[in-house]
Amino acid sequence: MSQASPTMTTAAQAVAASKVYGAGDTQVVALNQVSVAFAAGQFTAIMGPSGSGKSTLMHCLAGLDTLSAGQVFIGETDLSSLNENQLTLLRRDSVGFIFQAFNLIPTLTAIENITLPMTLAGTKPDQGWLDQIMATVGLADRAGHRPSELSGGQQQRVAVARALASRPSIIFADEPTGNLDSRTGAEILEFMQRAVRDLGQTIVMVTHDPVAASYSDRVVFLADGAIRDELMSPTADAVFDRMRALGD
Amino acid sequence: MLKITLKSILDNKIRFFLTTLTVTMGVTFVVASFAVADSLRDTFEGLSADINEGTDAKVRADRPFGGIDDSVPLPVSLDYLDDIRAVDGVASAAPTYFVFDPPVYPTDGSGNEVRTFNGPPTAALNWTEDEVLAQMYLIEGERPEGLDEFAVGPIEFADFDFVIGETYTITLPEGTREMQLSGVMQFGFPDNAAVGAVLTVFDQVAIQQLMGFEGVAEEINVRAEDGVTSEELVERLQAALDDDVEVITGQEATDEFNDAFGSIISVIQTVLLVFAFVVLFVSTFIINNTFNIILGQRIRELGLLRAIGATGKQIRRSVLGEALVVGIVATIIGLLLGFVGALAIRALIEAAGGSLPDAPLPLRIRTVIWAVALGVGFTLLASLVPAYKASRIPPIAALRSDGVGDEGNAKLRYLFGGLLAVLGIALTAFGLFGASGTRNVLSLLGGGAVIIFLAIAILAPLFAGQAVSALASPLPALFGSTGTLARGNARRSPRRTASTAIALTIGLALVTLVSVVASSLKESVDRQLQQVVAGDFLITSEDGNTGLQTNVVDALEGADGIATVVPERSEFVQILGEESQLDGVSLDTVDQVFDFQLSEGSFEGVDVATSIAIARSYAEDNELALGSTVPVTFFSGVSRDLSVTAIYDEDAFYSYIVDNALLEELGVVRSIDDVVVNVDEGLTEDQGRAAIEAATAGLAVNIQTRDEVIGSFKQAIDIVLGIATVFLGLALFIALIGIVNTLTLSVFERTREIGLLRAVGMTRRQARRMIRWEAVVIALFGALLGVLLGVAFGAAIVGAVPESFIDRLTMPWGRIIVFVVVAVLFGLIAAIFPARRASKMKVLDAIATG
Ligand SMILES: Nc1ncnc2c1ncn2[C@@H]1O[C@H](COP(=O)(O)OP(=O)(O)OP(=O)(O)O)[C@@H](O)[C@H]1O
Ligand SMILES: [Mg+2]
Repeated sequence: MSQASPTMTTAAQAVAASKVYGAGDTQVVALNQVSVAFAAGQFTAIMGPSGSGKSTLMHCLAGLDTLSAGQVFIGETDLSSLNENQLTLLRRDSVGFIFQAFNLIPTLTAIENITLPMTLAGTKPDQGWLDQIMATVGLADRAGHRPSELSGGQQQRVAVARALASRPSIIFADEPTGNLDSRTGAEILEFMQRAVRDLGQTIVMVTHDPVAASYSDRVVFLADGAIRDELMSPTADAVFDRMRALGD
Repeated sequence: MLKITLKSILDNKIRFFLTTLTVTMGVTFVVASFAVADSLRDTFEGLSADINEGTDAKVRADRPFGGIDDSVPLPVSLDYLDDIRAVDGVASAAPTYFVFDPPVYPTDGSGNEVRTFNGPPTAALNWTEDEVLAQMYLIEGERPEGLDEFAVGPIEFADFDFVIGETYTITLPEGTREMQLSGVMQFGFPDNAAVGAVLTVFDQVAIQQLMGFEGVAEEINVRAEDGVTSEELVERLQAALDDDVEVITGQEATDEFNDAFGSIISVIQTVLLVFAFVVLFVSTFIINNTFNIILGQRIRELGLLRAIGATGKQIRRSVLGEALVVGIVATIIGLLLGFVGALAIRALIEAAGGSLPDAPLPLRIRTVIWAVALGVGFTLLASLVPAYKASRIPPIAALRSDGVGDEGNAKLRYLFGGLLAVLGIALTAFGLFGASGTRNVLSLLGGGAVIIFLAIAILAPLFAGQAVSALASPLPALFGSTGTLARGNARRSPRRTASTAIALTIGLALVTLVSVVASSLKESVDRQLQQVVAGDFLITSEDGNTGLQTNVVDALEGADGIATVVPERSEFVQILGEESQLDGVSLDTVDQVFDFQLSEGSFEGVDVATSIAIARSYAEDNELALGSTVPVTFFSGVSRDLSVTAIYDEDAFYSYIVDNALLEELGVVRSIDDVVVNVDEGLTEDQGRAAIEAATAGLAVNIQTRDEVIGSFKQAIDIVLGIATVFLGLALFIALIGIVNTLTLSVFERTREIGLLRAVGMTRRQARRMIRWEAVVIALFGALLGVLLGVAFGAAIVGAVPESFIDRLTMPWGRIIVFVVVAVLFGLIAAIFPARRASKMKVLDAIATG
C-alpha cells in the first residue's frame, strides 16, 4: 500500500486493481492485479489485444465501474470511498470523456454540448478558455449547429472540446478515432497532443492503432488483464513491434 | 415470425403491460355498461313477470291517450267487480293498489318514520283473498283486516323497530291513526333484487279509505278457470264490460311494463357506452403511438430481418400479431374486470344519490361479442398504419446507424388533416344547425367530434414543435442545462409529442366541453329563475315528490305572516289534439309569485271554470288569440272547451295554465305538487320561515327559500356534471398511461444518451428533473390544446341550443384552470416511473449498449 500512495504528480492511478466478471465456470478475470499510474500532464496510450481489459481498466479508473479488488485514485481521491452521487460529481468536475461514437447529445448545439458538464454543475465556463478551445478545434463557426449537422470528425472534435472545457484533471478516451478516416483521425490526435503539450492536460487513451499511439508520450501494453510492457516516446513502428511480440 | 413477435412482447413487458392496460380499461367499461344495463333489465323484467304471475287478465280504466309511464294510473270503478265475477270462466277477481312513496306510513316503536328518504323506496299495497292476484303472502302473524290493522314487509320488519301485536301510529294525508301490526307479508318472489322496497300492507277496505280510493281500484286483476286461456278470458271480459275500461292479458301487462323500463334502461346503457367509446378512442391513439415508437426502435432489427430474407408481409404480420395479442389479452382481462367496473358504476350512481337494485350481473353473448370486437378491433385498427410502415422498411435500414427521423410527408399531412377537419366541422355544424331529432343531432355531433379529433391528431405534429418550444422556453432559464435538455427532448420529435399529448387533449376537450355547457346552463337557469320566480318560499312534501294534500293549503291561507298562497298542480292532458302538460295554479294571485310578463288579457277576475292562460310562443304556434276556444281533454276522458283569457311571454316554465278550481271541479287530481308562498312584507327570511313553520305545524312539509330552490336546481346540474367528469376522467387516466408509455419508451431509446449525460456528470436528480419537465411540457401542450378545443366545442353547442334553454355562454374559468393544473400534475405523475428508470440507468451499461 505505502509504496503506491499517490503523489502530487499522479493524475490517476490503479493499485492492485482486479476486476472479475461472472462466477464459477463462466468467470472472466478482466483485470488481474493491475498497478499503474498516470502522471499529470502526460498523454498515455493503453494498447493490447481485443479482450485484454483496456476498456475495463479505463472504466474503473474513470469511476464508471467498480473494482472487484484493489483501489483506484483520481488525484488523491480513493474512488472506492465515494458513493454514487459523489462519483457523479467527481466525473462532472474532474474527469473528461471521449468515446468512440455517440459522444454528443443530439438535442443540444455544439457549444451547448461543450459546456454541458459546467452547466450541469451550474458553474459559468471560463469564456477566455472556451474561446481558446474553440479556436484550437476550429469550430468557432459551427458553435450553433446540432450534432446531426456536423460531420463525424467535427462531432469528435466537439467531444474533445467538451472534455477539455471544464479543465478536468484527467481525460479518458476510448478509441476516439476508431470511427474516423485516417486524415480526420490524425487531426483529432494532433489536437489532443496539443492539449497535453500546450495546455497541460492529462489524457489517457485506449487505442488499437499504433499510429494513434505514436501521438502519445507513453504507451502501456495490456494482455490478459495484466500490464505486460510499456514504451516511452513511442513511434508507430516501435509500437507495432511490441504489439506483434504481445500477440505471440 | 410468431416466435419473433412473442419474443418482442416478452422482452418489453412494461410496454406490453401499459398498452394492454389502456385497452383493458376500455373493454372493462364496455362490459360494465352492458352488465349494469342487463342486470337492470333482468331485474325489472323478472319483477313484472313475477307480479303478473297468476293474473290472466287485467281490467283498468281506458286511457284516452298516453302510455303507462306518462301519468298516475287512472282509477277504475269497483262497480265493475260484480260484472267481472259474473263472466263465464272467471275464477276470481280482486282490486289491487300499489302506491310508491305513499302519503300513508307508520312510525316504528323508536319513532322512525317509514319513508323513502329514510332508506329504500317505500310502497303501500293491499293483499287479496286469492293470493296469486296480488302475490302477497303471509309469512308471520295474521293478515291485516279492516281499518285498525296493518302488516309490514320483511325488510321493514327487520330494519325498523316493530313488534307483532303492538299498536303504532300511522300518518295519513290528513291526521294520524293508531293501528295494530297484525303480521309480516311478502311478495311471492322475494328473491327478485328489485323487491328491496319497504312495504306497508293493508286490506282492500283500509287502503281504499285511507288513501282516497273510495269506490275505485287502480286495477282489477282476474284469474281464469282451468281450461280458459288468457285470450279467451280477455275477449269475454271486453264483451261484458263497458267501453271505458280496457282489458289486457297478464302477458300484455308484463310487456307494457318492460317496454316502459326498457327504454329508460337503453338510455342508461347508451350513455355508459358513449363513455366507454371515449375511453377506447383515446386508447387507440396511445396504442398507435406506442407501435410507432417501437417501430422506430426496432427499425434496425426489422431491417436485418428483411436483409436475411423476411418478406414485407411477414414483418407486417409480426406487428399485427403483437397488436392481436395485446387486443386479446386486454379483452380477456377486460371481460373479467367488467364486473368490478359494473360494481363501481353502481357505487358511483349510488353516491350521486341514485339507487340501483343489487342484482346479479349477467354476462351475455352480446357483451362478449362487443368486447372482443371493440377490444381487438380498436387495437388492430391502431396498429394498421405502423404495420404497413414496418413492412416498407428496406433491408438497408439494418446498416444505417441511427433510427428513423421519420416525420412523414408534411404536405400530405396538411391535405389529409385539412380535409378531415373540414369534414368534421361540416358534420358538427350540420348537427348543430341543420339536423332535427335528438338522435340525429347527437350522432352527427359525435361523428363530427371524432373526425375533428382525428384531424387534430394528424395536424398536431405540424405545430407541436413550435408550440412545445414556446411552452418550454422558460425552462432553460429556470433549470439551466436540465431545462435545455428537457425542452430539446420535448420538441425532438413533434410527431411523438403530438401523439402523446393528443390523448390528453381529447380527454380534456371533453371535460372542458361538458363544463362549459353545464356552467352556461347553470347560469341561464339561475338568471331565468331569478327573473321570473318572485315567490318567497316553496313548500313541498318532506321527500320532495310525494305531493301535498289540500290541508297544507288550508293551514297556510290566512295564517299569521302569510300574504299569498299559490298551490301548483300539473296534469297530463290533450290540448288541440296534442299531449301536453297543463298546470293548475290560483289564477288571481299567481302573478305575485311568478313573473309571467303578461302581454295580453288578465289573470285576475276571469271565469275560472272556462279560462286558460297560454304562453305566447304556444299561442303563435297554434294560431290562438285572446278569446280563442281551446278544447282540452283530461286524462279521465273528460273534455272541456276553454277560452284564452291571458297570453304571457315567459314560456320557459309554463305553457298552459288554468285555475286549480277547474281541476278540482273536474276531479282529475289527487295531490298538489307544491305550494308557493309569499310572506308579509318586511319579514326577514327567518321570520318568514318561522311563520310558515307555525302555520304548518304537524304537517310533513319541506320549506325552501327562493334561493334554496334555485340552488337545488344548480346542484342537480352539478351532480350530472360530476358523474360525467368522473367517467371522462377515465379518459384522462388513460392519457396519463399514454405519457408514461411514451416517456418509458423514449428513455429506453435514449439509453446511450442518458448514459453519456450521466458519464459527464449529470446527477440522478438532474436526470429525473430532465424527464419530469419533458413530461410537463407534453402535458401542458395537450392540456392547452384540449381546453382550447373544449371551449370552442362548448361555445358552439351553447350557441346552437335554443335560447329558452341556455341563453348565455358562461366560461367556467376557475374549473378550466384547475383542469390545466391537474393535467400538469398528471405530467409530473406520469414522469415518476420513467424518470426513475432514467436515473437508475447504469452508466456503463448505457454506454455499452448498441
Ligand atoms: N460486462 C461484462 N460481463 C462479462 N465479461 C465482460 C464484461 N465486460 C467485459 N468482459 C470481459 O472482460 C474482458 C475484458 O474486456 P474489455 O472490454 O476490457 O476488453 P478490451 O481490451 O476493451 O477489448 P476491445 O479491444 O475489444 O475493446 C473480456 O474478456 C470481456 O469478455
Ligand atoms: Mg474496449
